[in-house]
Amino acid sequence: MINRVLVLGINIVVVAILLAVYSFVIMDTGLLGVAISLALVGGVMVVYSTAPQDPTTNFLLNYSKNLVNVLTSSLEDLDLLDSKIWIVRRSDTTLAVFSRTPCLEDVDPGIGFSGGSPYIAIPIEIPATEYTETAPVESGEDVERMLRSLLIDEFSICRNVGVSYEDGLYRVTVIGLSSSLNEFMKYPLDPYTVITLATISRVLGARCVKLVDRRSIPDGVEIFIKVEKD
Amino acid sequence: MRNRLYIFITIYIVLTDIAITALYLLNEKRVDAYVAINILIYYTSYAITRPSIPTSRVRFLNIALLLLFIAIVGYRVYEVLTR
Repeated sequence: MINRVLVLGINIVVVAILLAVYSFVIMDTGLLGVAISLALVGGVMVVYSTAPQDPTTNFLLNYSKNLVNVLTSSLEDLDLLDSKIWIVRRSDTTLAVFSRTPCLEDVDPGIGFSGGSPYIAIPIEIPATEYTETAPVESGEDVERMLRSLLIDEFSICRNVGVSYEDGLYRVTVIGLSSSLNEFMKYPLDPYTVITLATISRVLGARCVKLVDRRSIPDGVEIFIKVEKD
Repeated sequence: MRNRLYIFITIYIVLTDIAITALYLLNEKRVDAYVAINILIYYTSYAITRPSIPTSRVRFLNIALLLLFIAIVGYRVYEVLTR
């Protein structure tokens, strides 16, 4: 809660109430309109004062960086820094997996061995919204609409999203990255790649979604994804 | 995020002050005119700054203001049609 905005909002509401009382006394509906308008301003400020404070957000970012550092060290120890991430969906969980062999059948959350190579599998959860719970879609346009709804409208972590489908690959272009999340782009696991892979996996009903390539572009990132369905 | 919120509040208050001062000086007596203009200014300020506070309270506020605006406009249209 932002106390300064809350106090200011309450003060404006109090002044508006006094102004409204005065307008009733002098029978001036114009002044009553001014009072109600001011009360609306005060009410809006009271509502917006409930926004999470920056220190909490800064702490969460710091905490997330610490976790990503742990993951990066683990990937280094398992010689998986060069491997690409892929998403596998099960009925009850979605896993983000780093391994040399993509789309392994038998992976469990955590660190393990399968197909002759080590892997790290991280359970991930993407909040279900009305946009991701509709029937499976096929076209790149539908995927783009889903990603726009999630990345821009729901989470506001970028300014624009574009999706194209060519040569069996989805190319997702994310423009206008959040300044707070931009720092994660230097790590193997970044929020934009994870949420894009997981969302495509869910809306396409795919068994396995692989990250083929990730390229930084001015003020954005291009993510190349291959989808393998059952 | 906080900077964007402060910019939104500043723009919203400045535009509201200008609008209600202008309306009062023009001797506008209809209360709903002040409220409708205020709601328009709110959405304009929100669209310009995109403070992006995705809490349930803010969503509820957005919906409530939209419904109030629709009610005001609907009432005025009804008034004109039945005059």
